[in-house]
Amino acid sequence: MATINFASHHCLVIDDFQGMRYLMRDMLRECGAVHIEMASNGKEALQRLQERRYDIVLCDYNLGQGKNGQQLLEEAKLRQLIGPASTWIMITAEKSSDWIMGAVEYQPDSYLLKPITADLLLSRLEKIAVRKQAFAEIAQAMSNKQYTRAIALCDERLAYDQVNAAELQRLKGALLLDAGEVEAAQKLYEAVLTKREIAWARTGLGRICYQQGEYEAARDHFQISREQAPGYLEAYDWLARTLQKLGEAEQAEATLSAALKLSPNSPLRQKSLGELALQRGDLDAADAAFRKSIAVGEHSILKSADAYLGLARVCGKSGRSDEALKVLKTAQHQFDDANVTLRAKSAEGMIYTQEKQLSKAGAVADELKQLLLEGGAKPDSAASLEMAELMLATGQRDQAVTLLKDVVRNNHEDNALLGKVQAVFDGANMKAEGSNLVEACRREAVELMNSGVLLARDGKLTEALAAMRGAKEKLPVNARVLFNFAFVAVMYLQQRGADEALIEESREALREANRVSPGEKRFSQLMEALNKLEQR
Amino acid sequence: MEPSSPQPDLAMILASSVHDMKNSLGLMGRLLAKHEAVWEGISDEAQSEYSHLLYEVNRMNANLISLLTLYKLGKALYPFDPQPWQPAELCEEVAMQHRVLLSASKVALQIDVPEDLVWHYDTDLIAGVLGQALTNAINYTTDTVRLAAGVTDDELWLAVEDNGRGYPPQMLLDSRHAPRRVDFSSGSTGLGLYFAEHVAQLHRNRERVGSLRLENGGTLGGGRFVITLP
Repeated sequence: MATINFASHHCLVIDDFQGMRYLMRDMLRECGAVHIEMASNGKEALQRLQERRYDIVLCDYNLGQGKNGQQLLEEAKLRQLIGPASTWIMITAEKSSDWIMGAVEYQPDSYLLKPITADLLLSRLEKIAVRKQAFAEIAQAMSNKQYTRAIALCDERLAYDQVNAAELQRLKGALLLDAGEVEAAQKLYEAVLTKREIAWARTGLGRICYQQGEYEAARDHFQISREQAPGYLEAYDWLARTLQKLGEAEQAEATLSAALKLSPNSPLRQKSLGELALQRGDLDAADAAFRKSIAVGEHSILKSADAYLGLARVCGKSGRSDEALKVLKTAQHQFDDANVTLRAKSAEGMIYTQEKQLSKAGAVADELKQLLLEGGAKPDSAASLEMAELMLATGQRDQAVTLLKDVVRNNHEDNALLGKVQAVFDGANMKAEGSNLVEACRREAVELMNSGVLLARDGKLTEALAAMRGAKEKLPVNARVLFNFAFVAVMYLQQRGADEALIEESREALREANRVSPGEKRFSQLMEALNKLEQR
Repeated sequence: MEPSSPQPDLAMILASSVHDMKNSLGLMGRLLAKHEAVWEGISDEAQSEYSHLLYEVNRMNANLISLLTLYKLGKALYPFDPQPWQPAELCEEVAMQHRVLLSASKVALQIDVPEDLVWHYDTDLIAGVLGQALTNAINYTTDTVRLAAGVTDDELWLAVEDNGRGYPPQMLLDSRHAPRRVDFSSGSTGLGLYFAEHVAQLHRNRERVGSLRLENGGTLGGGRFVITLP
């Protein structure tokens, strides 16, 4: 029966019961596998996964203490311990909402409900291998962020592959959105929906409306998805986001609660619920949600630092300063992340100012300044805003202004964020001054953004490239500047011939721009142009 | 300290016991299947008893799974998840799960499902329904059973047919016209049909709803169990 030879495959069996481990190992042997290793818990499994790339992982969902099978899979995927070619099969007594209702990218390739037999396992392994083969090229293009190529590959396959048509269309829709081809994505989703109500297509339409600021239409789409496919939780998250935009905070909260009732183990969604409750001023609800987020995230790589910071804020607001400080300390222990450290320390300082312990607050502010001087990494916008708040509260005005100016320059088109910067100025009684600063920085960013493009239009390509490179160094996370750098670089390369180093520098800039501002058409267009240049 | 609640949650106790029983049965089934070879050289009577034993284990297992699933559906805990699947693969897997029972019962299985057919359904629920119907058909057939599928009027139908004497007239059913309450007092078939009907009705495509039919005739001339999904 075996059409695929598993003798060269490396297999890993993960189960906390020795009997089950041996049983699964024997079944794998019956399927023709030779290289089989075993692990009895999440920690051991991670060790094995770090040591080698496995082709096949059979993992029991329930692993006793520590991580469960789903958390293990999420970590393996996020840390790229397994790639798109690896097969992960979850073994379970009953299917769990944890993966059925979780994000698509963290779903196992298949699951087997106990009791399992060797012929069933073999049949699944073979089918997965065939499917992986069908999607291998597309997966490769996707991981290289070659959206245009991946879309073309989907089309090619859709022309003849009836069996995988649904999955190909889902992928193509997501790729079109990634590539900023909004109209094409909309057409695809509408075509899919003529035959049947499909949750990802309905949610896709909702996302497009949301992106275009049509929040009421977006809400209607997400609500239809929720009614027709109550198990598709992505629609709930989007619905909550949309309701917030429409000013319906309580409904947004109820939507997240409903999703959490169906699938309670999402640290991120619990955290979002906490943030909504905190905005509404319901400290008890926020407290409970943040704590739940921390609890379900204990063994998860998807645990959220925002839950700790949120809980600390709730404690601070409820007059439990000691507890707040303790939570902030824990956050720094739990996350090895410069931005988390900066934000936790800022929050710590703000607690001291609230307690009128000004010398302690000042000491924290000094410590932060030191960290900024030493640290090579740039703080993100959230960390910058929170540090600026503390700097202003402790009288370190210059430091605060420097931080806020950087935020404006790097995000000069993000009005929501600019509003937050203004609010920090307002809070320090610097309304007019702040407003002038924001405007000046915004204009400065626009000029830097355009500097090279204008020179390029006049044919001064060398000067244009130098100007954009200068702008990129000044505003390293401004998506507009990064896109324009790549744009000028492509012009330069087209006229002056390919230059390996410049192509790589441009790709780097584009990847950063795509991280900051995903889903822009220019990303896939410029990437495509660079690929063509390289082939010349 | 709060005194412990004097009223235990009976539904939950039942559910967790059912779970436990299902595990025991799963193990029993595996052990029985494992010793398949030993039973081959024995008398016809013992062989027929062995196949009966397998049948009862299968039936109990299916019943327990139905119970658990109905419990979870009732509590809105079941992650109902219709996805595009291939009925050909589904039927193949259901057949694998019945391999030992089929050979012990000396019943031949025909599968007649188009390979490239793809349809949306919750595959675990439909596998449960088909498995139960197949177990039943193996018990009542003469010597052949058949799994078939196709699309008619833009609806998928999955059929389990046998060449036995067919369903008694009072059991014939067409839930499209007369969704009937299953009579649990009448004995053995209540739960299976109730589960199948429930699963059929969970499957919807806009305003259309899945349905269940019990007929006589079909390709093999015996009983014919059909679940239709929009």
